[in-house]
Amino acid sequence: MKIQYLLLLLLPFFACDNSGSSSGNDFDRRAMLEHYGQHIIQPAYGTLGSNTEILKTQSDAFATGLTEAALLQARTAWRTAYESWQNANAFNFGPGGEEGTRKSLVEEIGLFPVSESKIESRIASGAWNMNDFDRDARGFLAVEYLLYGKNQSTAEVLNAFQVSPNRRQYLNDLVQNLVSRVSDVRTAWSAYYPGFVANDGTDVGSSTSLLYNEFVRSYESLKNFKVALPLGKRPGQVQPEPQLVEGFYSATSLDMIKRHWASVEHLWYGQDPAGADGPGFREYLASVEGGDMLIGQTEAQMAVVRSALAAVPANQSLSELMAAEAPEVVALNDELQKFTRFIKSDMSSLLGIAITFASGDGD
Amino acid sequence: MPVATVTDTAVRHRLKGWWAGLDEPVSIAPLVTLRVVLGGLLLFSTARFWALGWIDDHYIRPGFHFHYYGFEWVRLLPPSGLYAVHALLMLSSLLVMLGLCYRLAALAQFLLFTYTELLDLTYYLNHYYFVSIACAMLVVAPAHRAVSLDVWRNPALRLTHVPRWTVGMFKLQLALVYGYAGLWKINSDWLLHALPLKIWLPAQDRLPLIGPLFRFTETAYVFSWLGMLYDATIPFWLSWSTTRPFAYVVVIVFHVVTGMLFQIGVFPAVMIGATLVFFSEKWHRRIWRIPNGESHAANTEWRMPIAKSVLVVHFLFQILFPWRYLLYPGNVFWTEEGYRFSWRVMLMEKAGTAQFYVRDGRTGREGLVVNSEFLNPHQEKQMSMQPDMILQFAHFLKAHYEKKGVADPVVRAEVYVTLNGRPSRLLIDPAVDLTLLRDGWGRKAWILASER
Repeated sequence: MKIQYLLLLLLPFFACDNSGSSSGNDFDRRAMLEHYGQHIIQPAYGTLGSNTEILKTQSDAFATGLTEAALLQARTAWRTAYESWQNANAFNFGPGGEEGTRKSLVEEIGLFPVSESKIESRIASGAWNMNDFDRDARGFLAVEYLLYGKNQSTAEVLNAFQVSPNRRQYLNDLVQNLVSRVSDVRTAWSAYYPGFVANDGTDVGSSTSLLYNEFVRSYESLKNFKVALPLGKRPGQVQPEPQLVEGFYSATSLDMIKRHWASVEHLWYGQDPAGADGPGFREYLASVEGGDMLIGQTEAQMAVVRSALAAVPANQSLSELMAAEAPEVVALNDELQKFTRFIKSDMSSLLGIAITFASGDGD
Repeated sequence: MPVATVTDTAVRHRLKGWWAGLDEPVSIAPLVTLRVVLGGLLLFSTARFWALGWIDDHYIRPGFHFHYYGFEWVRLLPPSGLYAVHALLMLSSLLVMLGLCYRLAALAQFLLFTYTELLDLTYYLNHYYFVSIACAMLVVAPAHRAVSLDVWRNPALRLTHVPRWTVGMFKLQLALVYGYAGLWKINSDWLLHALPLKIWLPAQDRLPLIGPLFRFTETAYVFSWLGMLYDATIPFWLSWSTTRPFAYVVVIVFHVVTGMLFQIGVFPAVMIGATLVFFSEKWHRRIWRIPNGESHAANTEWRMPIAKSVLVVHFLFQILFPWRYLLYPGNVFWTEEGYRFSWRVMLMEKAGTAQFYVRDGRTGREGLVVNSEFLNPHQEKQMSMQPDMILQFAHFLKAHYEKKGVADPVVRAEVYVTLNGRPSRLLIDPAVDLTLLRDGWGRKAWILASER
């Protein structure tokens, strides 16, 4: 009797004997986290930090000089800094995440559209606070609004600064706020890094889960808020709302979207800013069963999105194209949507990464 | 037909004997253990739920809640009311544990706990379902008539023995939970492909001691087979006194390991606690120092005639309901028609991405919904792979956008679902207007086949 039961218990050991080649998963998540932390995230904040400091220098020079040349230089510095933000906008956890009343970095400095009326009324009153809830009156895109103006010539923008000390002061405070928020996160990362690497599980709150979730969120914000919303593709919208594009005042939207998309691709491949490849999500997926298939599907759709992006005419501003519901932009929206499932549900499912805190069904 | 008549009579005779046997006196001690363990665990679990901020996250913050079919009438209380419900639940669990005002406390515990479960289908868990059933059984069982404050206040209540069914119902319920959990593991994905453990285990390779083992596929096979054998047979090993001590060690090891591996909250403690009911009367008596009473019969004056009949109905339901999936075509893992309330636990790795489209019936303009505008991540995750939840959300979207000025909204959804790591496929017909469909017991013809 008992012998039979013992044999029954041993059954699985025989049963799995013929499972053949064990695809022993020896992917080193710690090495992946080291790579992301050392070669991607911290350098991204580093570049962003130095570019915001250059922006500070240029906007200071403009505020004292108040010349058209200085304004143009400040604009160039803004553009460079905002371009580097596209490589750093996906790391809204840890030092870049929410803490107490401080929102995540993307909400603190990357919010759009900005509220023109809030900005103007603050300037008019001469009273403002860089820590209140009006995040749509500060950040990169408030600086953009001030430097470029809305449908204004360079001379008009220049004049607005010349006649208003408050305007100059507000610009100064906005840029200073940018510099210090970025610098806070950048500094905090060196202390955060060892823990980031050590927390190498896959449960909720693990570095892999945080990094992955924010990666997906960054992609979704690109799709939902930079493309679908201004294109009028949200339910209830009766027409495009091109003024909602990112970089509306500087007409840099398409370029920023391209850079944002490129950073999504870089994160997928685990590529550093120089384009050097290291262990990233792609390599992690390749180490699990079914991963190669998903990599193939993901990268095929990535190529489609890339060519959809390339097909959008660059000689016209994106807001104009959206207003006209240009077929190239509609196609871009569709192709972005098709990409979602690969990195959202398929990838987390294959890797077994936890995405919510609540208890599951155990036994 | 004299032969048939004779057999009939014999069967009826035996049935009668069995029916009467259910009232035979057994020691009350196991009931005391269950009362203390379940009351204590519910108290702890509710406090934990509160402390983690889940009352807010689960119930208060989301603007939309998924209801259970047939329980649409359950209303969400305002925040203060929800906190009051949880406070009262903790109070009633404490009273159950102490055996004070027991009947009322046990009834409150059952109703309040079940109310919180019925608020949102998102948070459905088999072990919460089990807790609800066990709480209902505690309402019926005379578990306060020994070692309780009620007896201390009124010694006339004291009993040493109770009818056999009052303890037996807990054992049978546990046996069904384990039995079905084991039975459903007998499928090719679980046993022949070690799925989903092959996906889940490598992700846990950082666990101390056993973690490195999870890098090997063999480990997933061993765990799959042992898991199936454990679930399917553990009630037997626990029932048999020879194997019981060893079996209980296995219970502890099994649930502690699964507790470390997966995010399953208090569930391991619930099972480790509840399975104590299988221990001998003597064991329980020794813990509570309950004498073995002189005359059993005299000590069993407590009766509840109708309870036995109700239990027969309950267990018929428990035995049959999990099989309803057979009435639906297709793979139950894929369609989830007949999946819930059947003790299918940790059986599959499933995830989806659901893109809803709302079209203005007048202008024809179609927009893409951002789910996270309305749902928390847990709700979105659960909804994105379960057809009935997709339908509920579609109806919510219709009402929401109607109010926002969209005329005659048409709502459709493109839902890609991956099951056990297979490439994702469309779960439902992406062209069908979901607002025209109603949930029901019938087959959902708009679910697409898992293999095409």
